Amino acid sequence: MNKKNTELSISTGKPNVRRKSLVFDVLSHKMALVGVLIIVSLLCMAVFAPFLAPHNPNDQDLYRVLEGPTWEHLLGTDDVGRDLLSRVIFGARISLIIGIISTFISALLGSMLGLIAGYKGGMADMVIMRITDTFMCLPVMVMLLVIVTVLGPGVENIIIAISVLTWTTFARIMRGQVLSVRESPYIEAAHADGASELRIMFKNILPNAISPIIVAVSIMLGRHIMLESIATFLGLGVQPPTPTWGKALRVGYSYLEIVPLYSIAPGLMITLAVLGFNFLGDGLRDALDPRLRGEGDKLPEAAL
Amino acid sequence: MTKLLSVNNLSVHFSSGRGIVKAVDQISYDLNAGETLGIVGESGCGKSVSALSLLRLIPNPPGQIVSGEILFEGRDLLKASKEEICDIRGNKIAMIFQEPMTSLNPVLTIGHQVREPLLVHKRMGKKQAAAEAIKALKKVHIPDSDRRFAEYPHQFSGGMRQRTMVAMGLTCAPKIIIADEPTTALDVTIQAQLLRLMKQLTTETGAALILITHNLGIIARYADRVNVMYAGRIVEKASAADLYKSPKHPYTIGLMASVPKLDQDVKTRLHPIEGQPPDLADMPQGCAFHPRCRYRVEKCCVKSPQLRIVSHDHEIACWIDV
Amino acid sequence: MKRYFARRLLYALLILFLVSILIFSIARLLPGDPIQAAATQNLDLANEEILNDLRSQFGLDQPLHIQYVVWMKDFFNGDWGTSFGSGEPVFEMFVRRLPVTLELFSGYVFWSFLIGFPLGVISAFKRNTILDATITSTAIVGISVPVIWEAIVLIYLFSVHYRIFPPSGYVPFFENPMENILCMIMPTFVLGTHTAGMYMRYVRSSLLEVLGQDYIRTARAKGLTEMAVILRHAAKPAMIPVVTVIGIDWGYVISGSFLVEYMFALPGFGRMGIDAIAARDYPVIQATLLIVALFILMVNLAVDLLYGYLDPRVRVK
Repeated sequence: MNKKNTELSISTGKPNVRRKSLVFDVLSHKMALVGVLIIVSLLCMAVFAPFLAPHNPNDQDLYRVLEGPTWEHLLGTDDVGRDLLSRVIFGARISLIIGIISTFISALLGSMLGLIAGYKGGMADMVIMRITDTFMCLPVMVMLLVIVTVLGPGVENIIIAISVLTWTTFARIMRGQVLSVRESPYIEAAHADGASELRIMFKNILPNAISPIIVAVSIMLGRHIMLESIATFLGLGVQPPTPTWGKALRVGYSYLEIVPLYSIAPGLMITLAVLGFNFLGDGLRDALDPRLRGEGDKLPEAAL
Repeated sequence: MTKLLSVNNLSVHFSSGRGIVKAVDQISYDLNAGETLGIVGESGCGKSVSALSLLRLIPNPPGQIVSGEILFEGRDLLKASKEEICDIRGNKIAMIFQEPMTSLNPVLTIGHQVREPLLVHKRMGKKQAAAEAIKALKKVHIPDSDRRFAEYPHQFSGGMRQRTMVAMGLTCAPKIIIADEPTTALDVTIQAQLLRLMKQLTTETGAALILITHNLGIIARYADRVNVMYAGRIVEKASAADLYKSPKHPYTIGLMASVPKLDQDVKTRLHPIEGQPPDLADMPQGCAFHPRCRYRVEKCCVKSPQLRIVSHDHEIACWIDV
Repeated sequence: MKRYFARRLLYALLILFLVSILIFSIARLLPGDPIQAAATQNLDLANEEILNDLRSQFGLDQPLHIQYVVWMKDFFNGDWGTSFGSGEPVFEMFVRRLPVTLELFSGYVFWSFLIGFPLGVISAFKRNTILDATITSTAIVGISVPVIWEAIVLIYLFSVHYRIFPPSGYVPFFENPMENILCMIMPTFVLGTHTAGMYMRYVRSSLLEVLGQDYIRTARAKGLTEMAVILRHAAKPAMIPVVTVIGIDWGYVISGSFLVEYMFALPGFGRMGIDAIAARDYPVIQATLLIVALFILMVNLAVDLLYGYLDPRVRVK
C-alpha cells in the first residue's frame, strides 16, 4: 500500500513529505523542541513587550544611573537610568524584526537566483555563479561594516546590507538542489505533458528542492540577528534611542567593570536566539533528510 | 562428500519501528566441499541476510543473530572471537557483493584493493602482492591488467568492477565463496560471462560456491543443489536437476510455472503467483505461504510446517504432498 | 592533476579580478571625501587650490578606470598606498601587524582542531548515546555564542573578576614569552571554540556517512580489523566534506579574527582593518579587503588541491 502512494506522489512531482508528519518529526526531536520553545518565548517577549516590561524602556532616571539589580530594576539600570530589563525586552522587537526581514529578503532573492541559475543553465548560470563566488571571497562581517558605512546608519540600511551579503548561501543551495532534481523522470514527464517552463520551475522543482532551504532559513535567522548585533556593536547600524541588543552590548561593554549585566544580559539574549534557531534548524534537517528516517541507520560497528 | 559448512537453526532478527522482523527464521543447511549451492527466492526472503550472517556482517543495531550455530572446519563461527572471524573473512570464506558500483572504495586504486587480502592474511610484501593481484586481474580477463592496477574504480565499467570483486575474493584461495546476486546489476550478456568465469574458477580451485539469486535460470545452469527460501525460511531443498524436474513445494511449483519459456506459444498467458509476500513484521499464522497457496488446507493456517524428506536428497516444508 | 590545478588557478585569478573591481567600487562609494576630511582637521589646507593639488597627488582626479589600473599595478609592485590617517605606507603597516595575526591564527588552529576533530570522531562512534547528545549540543552552543559576547563574558570572568589574564593588549613573543601566551590564550580560545563546534559536527556526520557505505562492508568482508577499516578505508573519503567545509567557512573565521583582535585590542591586521573602516581610510580599506580576498582565494585553492588529492574522481571534472 505504501509503495503505491510514493509512486503516485513521484509522478505528480509533489514533495514526498507529508506535512502533518513533518511537524511531528520535528517536535519529537528533543533538540528541535528546545529550539522551538526558545524561539516562541523570544517571539512572545517581542510581541507582548509592552505588557511584560516593568518600565518604559525610554524613561530616564538620572538619579539612578548604572545601578546593580534591585527589586525595582531587576537587571539594574543603564547609563541614563533606564531600566535594563525593559530595554532588553523591547530590544527583542527590533533585533528579531531585523533578523526576520533580512532573512526573508535574502532567502527570496537567493532562492530565485539559484532557481534560475540551476534551471536555465548557460549564461544565466555562469553570471550568477561568478557573482556568488566573488561575494564569497569577502568575509561577510567585514563587508557588512563597509556597506553599512557606505549606506549610513538606520534599521532599513542594516536590513539591506545584511540581505545583500547573505543571499549567496541560498543561491548556492537552491542551485545545487535544482541541478540534482532537474534530471528526474518526473520533470521529464512534466515536459512531455507540455507544461511551461515557469510552471515546471514553480510547481515541480521548487517544492522538492525546498528542504535544505528551509533548514538554511532557520540557521540564517540566527546568523542575521548575530550580524546585526555585531554591526551595531561596532558603532554602525541602529541609532539611539532605539533599543537593540547590539546597542546594549556596545554601551554595556564600556561599563563592564561596574555593571557587567549591562552587556551580559543582552548578549545572552542574542545567544539564546541564535541557539534556538540553530537547534530548530538541526531538527528540521534531521526531519527532512529521508535517509535518516526510520530504522535504517547505518552504523560504525557491523561485526558482531 | 565432506561437509564443509553446517548451518543449524540460524535466526537473525531486526528491530524496526514496527516490531521485530524475523529476517531469517531457524534455517539449517549443509554445504559440501567443491559444490555449488544456489539460494533462490524473491526480494526480502532473507537470502542475503543469511549469507551476511555467515561472516557476521549483520549491522548491529538494528540486526542481531539471535540463535543457531554455523559450523565451519569444526568451529562455530558464531562463537569465534573477533580475531578469528577477521582471519576467516576474505581468507577462508570470501564474499562478493551485489553492487559493483558502490562496493569498491572510490578513493583507493583497484590494484590496492585487490591485493589487500594478501597483505592482511598472507603477510606478503607490497610488491609481491601487487604481482599476485595483477595475475588475479588477468585471470578474470581484465585486459591490460598491469596498467589497470593503478586505476580507480570510476574508470572501470560495471562488468569489470564485478570481475575485480571476483578477483579480490579469490586472491587467498578461500574454501567457500559467497556470491550475493553477483549479476543482478549487470547486462545480460555480461551476466553469462561472469557466471561462467566464476564457475570455472571455483572448479579449478576446488572452492565451494554459494550462489544467491532470484533468477531461476542461473540456478538451473550453475548450481548443484538449491535451497528455496520464502519469508525467512527454507521451504525446499533439492538438487538442481530434481528441483526442475519435479518441484514439490507449492511455492517452487508456482515459481517454475511463472517463468516464461522460449518454446511456449507467444499467446500463452503468464501465471504469476497470486498475492504479495508477507510483511515480515506481521506474519500470518501457520505457514507463511498459505495465503497465496492454492493447495492449502486447514492445518496450513494454524501450524507452521518443518522441513521433511520427501525423496532422496529432497526436502520440503509443507503439510501436503502436491 | 596538474591540469586540474591549472584550471582552478585560472578560475581563482578571474575571481580575484572581479573581487578587486568590487572592492574598488565600494571603496569609492564610501561617503566623505578624505581629502576634505583631512583638510578640516588642518586649517591651513583649506585653500581649494592646495586641496586640488593634494587630490592630483593622490591620483584622485583621474577617471575611475585609470585609478583602478594604477591601484592594481601599484599593488602588485608592493606599493599599497599610504594611509590617510597615519601617513604610513600601508605595506609597512601590514608587515608590522602580520605576526600578531599569524600568531592568533596558529592558536586558533590549535584549539579548533584539538577540540573539534577528536570530539567529532568520538561522537560518531558513540552515536545516539548521551555522550553524543551532549557533545553535539555543546557544539551547537559553541557555534551560537557570538564572538563578541563570548569575549565579553570571558574578559569579565578572567580579567575583571578573577584577574588571571590581561583583558587586552599584546606583548610580542620574543619580548616576554610568558606574557605573550597569557595575552593570547583568551583570544585564541574564543576564536577556536567558535568553529570547533562546526568541525566537530562535520567530522561526525561525514564519518557516519562513510561508515555506512557499501565499500566499508567490503573492506570488513576482506578480514580487515575495525581499526584498519577506519584508517585505510574510511579516513580519506571522510575527510573530503570536512576539507571542503573548512574552505567555505574560512571567511567566517577571518571575520571572527577581526572581531577578536578588536575585542582584545591586539595590534593585528584585523584591528587595522576595522579602524580603517571607521576612519574612512581608503587605501588601508582597499588593501585590507584585497589581502583578505587573496587569502581566502588561496585557502580555497589549497582546499581544491587537497580535494583533488583525496578524491580521484574530481580530477576529471
